[in-house]
Amino acid sequence: MGALIKNVLLYTVLLIWLVAVVAPLLWVVASSFRSSREFVEDPFGLPWLITGSPYADNPDVETPVEAVASNYQKAWVKSKFSRYFFNSVLVTTLSLLGILTFSSMAAYVLAKFVFPGSRLLFLYFVSGLMIPAQLVLIPLFFQFTTLSRWGTAILSPIGYEVHLHDTFTGLITIYIALSLPFTILVLTGFFKSLPGTLREAGIIDGCTEYGVFRHVMLPLAKPGIVTAAIFNFLGIWNEYLFALVFVSSDAHKTLPLGLAAVSMQAQYKTDFGLMFAGLVIVLLPTLLVYILLQRQLTRGITVGALKG
Amino acid sequence: MKRTREQTIFIVLFLAPAFLLFTGFVAIPGVRALLYSLQKWDGLSTPEWVGLANFRELFTDDGVFLLALEHNAFLTLVAGSMVLSLSLFFAAVLHRRVRGATVFRVAFFFPNVIASVAIALLWVLLYSTTDFGVVNGALRWMETTLGWPDIDLPFPFTGKQYLIYSIVPMLVWTMTGFYMVLFLAAMEGIPETFYEVAELEGASPLSQFWHVTLPLIREVLVVGIVFLAITSLKLFEPVWIMDNEWPSRDTHVMATLLYQKVFSEYNVGYGSAVAVLLFVLVFFATLVTLRLSRREALEY
Repeated sequence: MGALIKNVLLYTVLLIWLVAVVAPLLWVVASSFRSSREFVEDPFGLPWLITGSPYADNPDVETPVEAVASNYQKAWVKSKFSRYFFNSVLVTTLSLLGILTFSSMAAYVLAKFVFPGSRLLFLYFVSGLMIPAQLVLIPLFFQFTTLSRWGTAILSPIGYEVHLHDTFTGLITIYIALSLPFTILVLTGFFKSLPGTLREAGIIDGCTEYGVFRHVMLPLAKPGIVTAAIFNFLGIWNEYLFALVFVSSDAHKTLPLGLAAVSMQAQYKTDFGLMFAGLVIVLLPTLLVYILLQRQLTRGITVGALKG
Repeated sequence: MKRTREQTIFIVLFLAPAFLLFTGFVAIPGVRALLYSLQKWDGLSTPEWVGLANFRELFTDDGVFLLALEHNAFLTLVAGSMVLSLSLFFAAVLHRRVRGATVFRVAFFFPNVIASVAIALLWVLLYSTTDFGVVNGALRWMETTLGWPDIDLPFPFTGKQYLIYSIVPMLVWTMTGFYMVLFLAAMEGIPETFYEVAELEGASPLSQFWHVTLPLIREVLVVGIVFLAITSLKLFEPVWIMDNEWPSRDTHVMATLLYQKVFSEYNVGYGSAVAVLLFVLVFFATLVTLRLSRREALEY
C-alpha cells in the first residue's frame, strides 16, 4: 500500500515535469496556427483550425486555413525566413564539413603518430576548451582585416582572396576554428582506441598513409564522427553571439539572428502569429535531428560535458 | 618504424589546417584580449597603455560590473542548485527502472536542442502581459478561484527589476534534462549487485541513493557542477533577448556587459577586462574539475 502511494507520487512528479516541458512547445505550434483576431477574442482557446471558426459564415473574415497560411507566408516570404533558413543551412553544412575534415585529420595524426612535440601540440589544441568564446570575440572583430590579409597571402596561389567582414567565409571560419578543440579531443580519443596494427597492415599491403586514413581509419571512426557532428550541428545551427557581432547585412543573417530581429518588430506591431510561426521554423530542424539521432546524442553527452 | 620523408609530409599536411585556424582565430586573439585589457582604446585611434586601470575601474567605477557579477553568482547558485537537485532526483527515479523511462528521458532533454534565442523568445511570450500570456493567465485564474496571490496582474515578469529572477525558471526548464541524462549515464555504470546487497541489508531507496548512488557517481557529479557554473558564467542570450537587446545595470550579466561596452560604447579596454575576468573564472572552474576528477576513482 505504501509502495503504491509512493509510486503514484513519483509518477505525478514525473508527469508534471513532462507537461511543463512539452506543453509550452505544443502551445507555440498551436499559436502559430492562430490569427491576431483569435488571440484577442479567445486568448487561451484551441486554434480555430481545430475547433472551427465562429465566423465560418462571414466571408469577410479569413478562414482558419488562410490564417495559418498567412502566418507562415508572412514569416517565410515577407520576413525573409526563407533567406535566413538557406543561410543557416549553408553556414552549418560548410562549417561541419570543415570541422570534421580538419579535426579528423589532425586527430588521426595526433593519435597514431609520435613525433617531437606531438603531446604538446595535442595539449595546445585542447587548451582551447578553457577559452570562453567571449574572450576571442573582441580581438577577432578588430583583427579581421589583418586576418583577411593573412588568409589572402596563404590562399592567393590557388587564386582565392579572403574577405572575412560580414561574409559567410568569415562566420564559417570562426565556427570551424572555435569547434576544433572539442572535436579534436573527441576524435583523438576515438582514433586512439583503434588498433595501430591496422595501419601497418595497410601500409604493407601497399596503401599510402593517406589511403589508410581515408579507407581504413575514417570508416572505423564513424561513431565518433557522428557524435561530434551532432554536437557541432546543434551548436552552430543555434549560435547567436558570433553571428550578431560578425554579420551586419540582412542578406547574410542566420536563423537565430533573423528570428531575434523579426520578433523584435513583430512584438512591437503585436503580430504574434508571425512570431510563433518564426519560432516553429527555427525549432523544426533541430526537433527532427533530435528525434532521428536521439540515441547517439544522449550517448555522447558524457563526452560533450567536457566542452567548457 | 623509421620515418620516411613521405610520412613527414603527411603529418605536416594533416596538421596544418587545424593548426593555422586554431592559432589565427583562437590562440592569437586569446592573447590579444589580454593585451587589450591593459589598454585604453576606442577601436580606431592609437591604443594607450594604462596598466591595470581597466580592472581597477571594474571594481570602483559605478558598480555596474559588480552588479553583473552578482547576477551571474545569483543565477549560478539559485538556478544551479535547483537544476542539480531536480536532475539528480529525476535521474535516480528513472535509474530504478520506472515504466516509460525512455519517454521521460527523451522529453526532458528536449529543450536542450532548441536555440537559446528561441527559448528566450518562448519565455517572453509565456510571461507576456498581453491577454494570451500563459503565466499571467494562470495567476489570474488562481487569484479569482483561490484568492491567491494577491498582486496586481498582469505582473511584469520581464520588467528590468524582475528579469534576473524570471530567468531562473527558464534556466531550470532548459537545463534539468541535460544534467539528468548526464547523471543517468553515470548511474547506469553502477553494478546491480551493489543495490542487491543494499536491498538485503534493508536499506531504504533514500539511503541507497545517499550511500550507494551518490558516492559512486561523484566524479560525474563534480564535472556537472563545474559545467553548470561555466554555463551560468557565460550566459548571454537570455538576458540579451529578454531585455530587448538593451540590458542596463539592473539586468546585466558579465557577457552582456562586455558586449555592450565594446560594440556600443567602443570601450574596448573595459570590455576586454570583463572578458579576461570571465576567462579567469572559467579557467579556475575547469582546473578544479581536472584536479578533482584525477583524484583516485572509487573502484568497482
